[in-house]
Amino acid sequence: MFKLLGKILPPKSKQSKVDSGILVFEHTSEVIQAEQVLNKSGFTVRVMGPPPEIQTGCDLVIEFPLMEELNVLRRLADVGIEPLQITPVSSPLLSPVDLFYKKDFGDYLMVRAANMKMTIDVNTLEIVNVSGGGCPDVPFLANQLVGKKMSEAPRPRDLGHTLCGYALELAYQELRKECLQQ
Amino acid sequence: MATTVDARGLSCPQPVILTINEIKTGTDPEIIVLVDTDTSKENVTRAATSQGCTISDVSPDGDGYRILIQKDK
Repeated sequence: MFKLLGKILPPKSKQSKVDSGILVFEHTSEVIQAEQVLNKSGFTVRVMGPPPEIQTGCDLVIEFPLMEELNVLRRLADVGIEPLQITPVSSPLLSPVDLFYKKDFGDYLMVRAANMKMTIDVNTLEIVNVSGGGCPDVPFLANQLVGKKMSEAPRPRDLGHTLCGYALELAYQELRKECLQQ
Repeated sequence: MATTVDARGLSCPQPVILTINEIKTGTDPEIIVLVDTDTSKENVTRAATSQGCTISDVSPDGDGYRILIQKDK
């Protein structure tokens, strides 16, 4: 019986996710800002890579519960953000950063998220290095963060305007999880 | 007297870590750091400055750079 069902039902990854939609934006900075606003407002959203059929906008989209579409759009309009496109999810989305890579250098810990690396001194929790990317705001991000303790440093999400800024925020969050939980 | 840190061939963030360790534990007032990429040059100079040091000189050295760091503290 279950074997038969397994043959009839499509594999989970191929099932349609009609309960989700995606918001497409022109700039990555809008994606980052929209994610912050929507998360703070209690919506369950995720930043993802766009499906191949989406030809407009930047390298990231926001996946959101489709039934919340009007509320989501209203909240974004409140802060002056207007998506380029809103569409139901019809194919699996790519996660922009699935894996973190961590390297322990003894007194130093490095976390890489996608194309960005952040290294801290684990004794002082000072950010000693920010590197990676290829985005124009990486030198600015590094200048703002290096030499500051994690508790005093600005959040990369508040400084960045690109995919690199977003990836660096994920590395920052992972380092906080690793180092500030004790 | 200057201590030389040879960070050529090392990938990020190791040149920075070696430099900071030398700044923190070394006794010589000057440190020469050898790196072989622009990224390492930027990262090392930024890290040294954040540690309160002065970059006295950055000059081409073979295929890379020679960074002269002055410990101010």
